[in-house]
Amino acid sequence: MKIDTFFRHFREAVKSLARNNWMTFAAVSAVSVTLLIFGLFLVFAFNLSFMASELDKQVSIRVSLSPQITADQIDNIRSQIEQDSKVKSVEFISKEEGLQMMKQQWGDDKEFLEGLEKDNPLPDTLQIQPSNPQETEALAKDLQQSYPNYIEHVDHGEGVSDRLLNLSAWVRNMVLVFGLGLAVLAAFLISNTIKLTIFARRREIEIMRLVGASNWFIRWPFFIEGGVIGVLGAIVPVTVVLLGYNAVVGILDADKAYSFFKLLGFWDIAFKVTGLTTLLGILIGIWGSLISIRRFLRT
Amino acid sequence: MIEMHDVYKVYSNGVKALNGINTKIDQGEFVYVVGPSGAGKSTFIKLMYREEKPTHGVILINGVNVKRVRDWKIPYLRRNIGVVFQDYKLLPNMTAYENVAFAMEAVEAPKRKIRRRVQEVLELVGLYDRMNALPSQLSGGEQQRVSIARAMVNNPNFVIADEPTGNLDPENSWDIMYLLEEINSRGTTVVMATHNKEIVNTMRKRVIAVEQGVIVRDEQGGEYGYED
Repeated sequence: MKIDTFFRHFREAVKSLARNNWMTFAAVSAVSVTLLIFGLFLVFAFNLSFMASELDKQVSIRVSLSPQITADQIDNIRSQIEQDSKVKSVEFISKEEGLQMMKQQWGDDKEFLEGLEKDNPLPDTLQIQPSNPQETEALAKDLQQSYPNYIEHVDHGEGVSDRLLNLSAWVRNMVLVFGLGLAVLAAFLISNTIKLTIFARRREIEIMRLVGASNWFIRWPFFIEGGVIGVLGAIVPVTVVLLGYNAVVGILDADKAYSFFKLLGFWDIAFKVTGLTTLLGILIGIWGSLISIRRFLRT
Repeated sequence: MIEMHDVYKVYSNGVKALNGINTKIDQGEFVYVVGPSGAGKSTFIKLMYREEKPTHGVILINGVNVKRVRDWKIPYLRRNIGVVFQDYKLLPNMTAYENVAFAMEAVEAPKRKIRRRVQEVLELVGLYDRMNALPSQLSGGEQQRVSIARAMVNNPNFVIADEPTGNLDPENSWDIMYLLEEINSRGTTVVMATHNKEIVNTMRKRVIAVEQGVIVRDEQGGEYGYED
């Protein structure tokens, strides 16, 4: 397409949007609502999968050693486990250290733990980081079988990360289903808007056909019109979602009490959300205009 | 060259508009198509620029079987045909210049060429100094001249006119006829459906008379032959 022709199409599209300003407004609003919901889902989905992968990293195996074990045996087991290629790191936590950590965690309520020093019920433990989070379960089983005499109990927080991964897949599917439904609705509204502008320009199209304008030449302005509606429709939802997200991230950062609840940083998602939302807007817009113009181009 | 072989047209509502048309119009001819209302003149004309498809039969335009042309290729077929209507079909929100330039923009002609050529044809139809007027500011005759300028701006082989003088007074009608004759003298085939007895009988050309969907008369320099 020639550059002159492109500018002509663009001019025509903008003129038509301005002339049918109320319908344009309605179509842009419809796209905005769709994209707002899409944007929110997007933020959710990104963060859920981020949390799942973060949790994966934190997965560790806690091996409780039997009370009769000697210090030599502990060193022995520890160095053996360290040599396993499936193991990233091993940390020994004695029962005294364990109690100390517990007290810290309990904070103000630590008086419940007073007096336990004399008869510490906690076992000595080894804190093992697997090199691959996916193999945590297998590794845990291995350990239990390899050292049945020394190990009392193996605990690996089974299922938490799995469940989160499932949840994020579920959210993704919901986004798809809901998003698709909303996209159809918005495309329908856009197609009606553009149908009106086509109606207003029926004569023009008729004459274009008579003087030998190709179908694409006739289609382009409507295409651009749909695309512009999509982009305009993305502005409000992108702004709202990003500002809202920025605020939420700010609040969570300020209050350390929620530090376990780790979210993606604002800049980690800003471009993705903007890009994907705008892209969807444009696609809905073009789709809508395609639906409505098809009928007018038949002979 | 336009050729029609055994052409029938039945509309979807059952109206039989054409019942076996055979004719041949050579390049550079000037042809009147006459006949009573509802005889099939308009259908005859519409088949030529592929606004309608024949139900049966073959129409060849410069050797191309019009019926076989795919829908998306029709625009390219039409670039070779200029069409003029009784009601001008100008775009009301565009000036005379823009209306004519539009036909060239639609076929993606270069901008500089458009400016030169549009001014040239507007000069030819005598509207050079009215080129910035909107259709509503022009008389019927002037509007029809703009539409003729638009029909010829892409240098088509054929100009097809459906009652171009139908809405005009005699003086303006003659202006239009002189223009069409001028276009014809440059080698363009002109096919014109008309009800104008005076014109047909004065400016003698080939006359094809259509009645009840068949050609009943075809003579060089013929008369109008009806009393309406």
